[in-house]
Amino acid sequence: MEKIQEEWVRDFEAAAHRPLAQRMRYAFIRTYKPVLDDAPFRSFPSMEDYRRWCEAALPSWLGYGRTL
Amino acid sequence: MASSFDYPQAQEIKRIFAVRGIQYLFIGKSGAILLGFPDTTQDADLFVKKDPVNCAALVHGLKDLGFSLDAQLEEDLFRGKDFVQIRTGPFDLDVVFAPDGIETFDEAARRAVVVEGFPVCHLDDIIRSKEKADRVKDREALPRLKAFREWWISRQK
Repeated sequence: MEKIQEEWVRDFEAAAHRPLAQRMRYAFIRTYKPVLDDAPFRSFPSMEDYRRWCEAALPSWLGYGRTL
Repeated sequence: MASSFDYPQAQEIKRIFAVRGIQYLFIGKSGAILLGFPDTTQDADLFVKKDPVNCAALVHGLKDLGFSLDAQLEEDLFRGKDFVQIRTGPFDLDVVFAPDGIETFDEAARRAVVVEGFPVCHLDDIIRSKEKADRVKDREALPRLKAFREWWISRQK
């Protein structure tokens, strides 16, 4: 775990030396997500409703549910 | 399909939302990335103050950004539904009016951090929100995000 954390800190330090525009270019990567991206918009009256919808409607491997 | 969210688009949010007087904060992993967290994500997440004037301004601001809003979506934004996911614009956007784990917008705004003019939720709020959401993807991201928080705080001193 200590070794992993050292590696992470090296990543954090390296990122801090990059300008924000470059960090964003590396960070935001759009890929198609089934179901989630299949509607122009979705709105939910509460976060709990949204969580329930994620559990029921999305493929579990997307990771939006509380269990796989 | 929308393009990946990028720096010029973030600048457009900053510019247009300032003109429209919209109160908002970047939140979620997109907020953490603005704070320096080196990781990947797919969309921009904005925490917007739930207030009738602010919600009305948001509708105009999103149109200025190039989002296509139909009557139902406009109505949902006007009403400040807790979570609105929009896929009809130049980038994918999640608008959240009541994020998990954060009591009020004003409290989060008091703790917020400004990065190159971008208002961003404090990392503690981002972490709290992810802990409360407790999704698989949050549980996977949290150990590294918490390590980043420790490193980030130590740099502020």
